[in-house]
Amino acid sequence: MTNDPDHPILDKILAGEQSAYADLVNKYKSYACTIALRILQNRPDAEEAAQDAFIKAYHHLSGFNRESKFSTWLYRIVFNTAISYKRKNRHQFQSIENTVVEYQQEGEGMLERTDKRKYLNAAMARLNEADRTALTLFYLEEFSLEEIASITGMQANTAKVRIHRARLRLADELTSILKQEALTL
Amino acid sequence: MDKMTPESDDLLLRYIDGTLNPSEKQVTEKNLEQSETLRKRLDQLRSTHLLLRANKLYEPSKNFTQQLMSRLNYDPSRATSFPIRNGIFILVGVLMVVIIASVLVPAGVFDNISTTIDLNQVEISNKYIEKTLPSVSVDGKLMVNIIIIVNLALGWLVLDRAILKPIFQRRLHAGR
Repeated sequence: MTNDPDHPILDKILAGEQSAYADLVNKYKSYACTIALRILQNRPDAEEAAQDAFIKAYHHLSGFNRESKFSTWLYRIVFNTAISYKRKNRHQFQSIENTVVEYQQEGEGMLERTDKRKYLNAAMARLNEADRTALTLFYLEEFSLEEIASITGMQANTAKVRIHRARLRLADELTSILKQEALTL
Repeated sequence: MDKMTPESDDLLLRYIDGTLNPSEKQVTEKNLEQSETLRKRLDQLRSTHLLLRANKLYEPSKNFTQQLMSRLNYDPSRATSFPIRNGIFILVGVLMVVIIASVLVPAGVFDNISTTIDLNQVEISNKYIEKTLPSVSVDGKLMVNIIIIVNLALGWLVLDRAILKPIFQRRLHAGR
């Protein structure tokens, strides 16, 4: 059993204090949505998948053995839920207004940043879901390799190799996209 | 070094991450000075690295927690995941049977079809029942009419449970 600061909150929820779950949701919603977004590449679907994952986690809380951190267990559920959403909605057309482009409020350099992020997301879309998620978690600098491996269902060594390969592949994809863009200009 | 190899890529990534030991770092920097290909690759990897680092967390909508807490007692893992498309296929099949049967019955196709089942010839009834059992006559037209009614009921159930209910549930969730 790990020494997880979330365990007292889990005890409260299991004792029937349902409202305490909102604290956990607020704490982990950004990471959960980011993981789902990396897999689904679509904001409304990502939020819905993250919500479903939180609900699943709530209903299976009594079965959580506390051998890992609550967050790792939760993100694993988010990952699996998003993957099953992806499989279910594979045929659906991705709406342009829902594509993953973050807009910034500041004016200076906004276009350049938006463009760069657009190309990065396009390059990311060429990787598979597990690689995208592993890479995202790696760059969020919050997770150990073991945690990334546990969330994405890989061995730690496999996760390390895949992150390494995904970084190289992403650089190649980005270069290829930028070359294509330059040719169409 | 003019050609990129997996080893040189590995060294460059570790150079960017700052995890090379002093001697590896020295060799890599020397190689970088000598090779333009290597410098270009470093630029490529470094700009991807910086973009990834700048990629922020996605902030969900403001009412995310509120919405979620209101849905907390609904467990999606226990919800039926029967696709609407399959429901439509079943409904079409059921309606086809009803339509074909409804056309054939007035045309008199089943009028001359009738049979009699003698229950005394059934092996199980002889074994357990000592009394003489009656014969049951089965009218083809009546049977087809029963099939039509059962299919209409089945079609109504499929329309309600496998098509309309999932559509309204989906709209309800999308509207939240």
